[in-house]
Amino acid sequence: MKPRDPDDLLRLIQFCKTVQSADIDPFDLDVKKSLSILKEHIKRWKSIDDLLLDGEAISELTRVIELQCKWIRDRAASFYIDPALIELKLRLMEPVQLASAFLKAWHPILALDRLTPERLKQGIDYWNALLPLNERMRDLEAEPVPEVGTIELDDLFSLRILTQTEFQEQLVKVQNELEMRGRIEYYDFIYDTDKFEDSVRKAYLTSYLVSEGRAELDIEPLEEKIFITPRQRDGAANRSVPVAISYEDWLEWTRKKRQGRNEK
Amino acid sequence: MDQEEAARTERKVKKAAQLLFFRRHNQPGVKGWELKKAVGDDYLEIIEVLNSIIRRLGLEVQRLGDDPEKEGKPDNDRFVVVLKEQLTEKASGLRIDEVAILSATLAYIISKQGRASRKSVEDFLADKFPRRRVNSALDRYIRQGYLNEDEKSLFIGWRTRAEVDSKTLMELILGS
Repeated sequence: MKPRDPDDLLRLIQFCKTVQSADIDPFDLDVKKSLSILKEHIKRWKSIDDLLLDGEAISELTRVIELQCKWIRDRAASFYIDPALIELKLRLMEPVQLASAFLKAWHPILALDRLTPERLKQGIDYWNALLPLNERMRDLEAEPVPEVGTIELDDLFSLRILTQTEFQEQLVKVQNELEMRGRIEYYDFIYDTDKFEDSVRKAYLTSYLVSEGRAELDIEPLEEKIFITPRQRDGAANRSVPVAISYEDWLEWTRKKRQGRNEK
Repeated sequence: MDQEEAARTERKVKKAAQLLFFRRHNQPGVKGWELKKAVGDDYLEIIEVLNSIIRRLGLEVQRLGDDPEKEGKPDNDRFVVVLKEQLTEKASGLRIDEVAILSATLAYIISKQGRASRKSVEDFLADKFPRRRVNSALDRYIRQGYLNEDEKSLFIGWRTRAEVDSKTLMELILGS
């Protein structure tokens, strides 16, 4: 084992996450062996980051142990039967045999539908209040149907809603902010506003910076985070990455930020 | 119990029976809070009295929680009347092949500890039935509450928990 090599831990964390998210037997992970890896590493950890990684690994391991617990409980509490055996039996059985087995184990719910005089009265009232179909159709036709379309940046310029200069000024402003803050998590950059509208505007302008190669998006698959970095060279290789933003996420981000400030 | 109290209990039992036997919503049964509103705070005792009457007819009121692993508040649980005894005659409009699909699906999911990916269920059923039929049958069982579906998989629905004796079903399939 290499000294202070965090790869083992990153692999372990990733495997724990895979066990939790996919339909994998939690006992595929050897908990004892994983703990001995952590034990081996802990003597060498020095920095906060090392210890945080160790903490995350322990946390993920406990989740897998919880899944193992559930697995045992399910089998102990219920009539555990080998799924392969059941599958084989089901494949061999005729539909009539299957239906017959089901009917013997079936205790259907009793629920009757019955019209009451009161309900009939409500039906008549509804009928009386309902306009003839052709009149309702006429109302529907009269409703204006909004035309769905897209508006391009050039349209905004031609409509004089935005000028080329204003747009460039706003772009430069966002770029300057990014250069000042350096490499930063994308959502920390976008959501750091007083209003959600400003976040939407910032995301829109940032997309221009990325597509023009003035900023770069960097996706960390292990951490499942997106980082944005300013680029010094104009016109460098650009890429397109769809990133979703929502009002709920913005609210949550703002709440966490406020909470963080209060704790400090 | 004096006469007046007996009459009051009888009225409450009749009211509870009406709520339970006749459908008020899309899904059969009523929630505990609905019974409480109609019958009173002692609705659980009233259900017991009703049970003692309908058990003689082979019926039973069953209480179903949203989460089978946790006992919740009775007000949030669903109460339904089920047939306690085994069916002796045909009691549904389901065709025999539809019952077979449901039976095989439930047994397959139960054997996988209550959860299986929709694709694996479809592949398994497609061995004996056309895929189009399989898909429409699964969608129908989800609508009827026999199955539940989330982004990842299919699992046992509330109606199966109410109506199907899973242990008996699995024993019958294994013993066939």
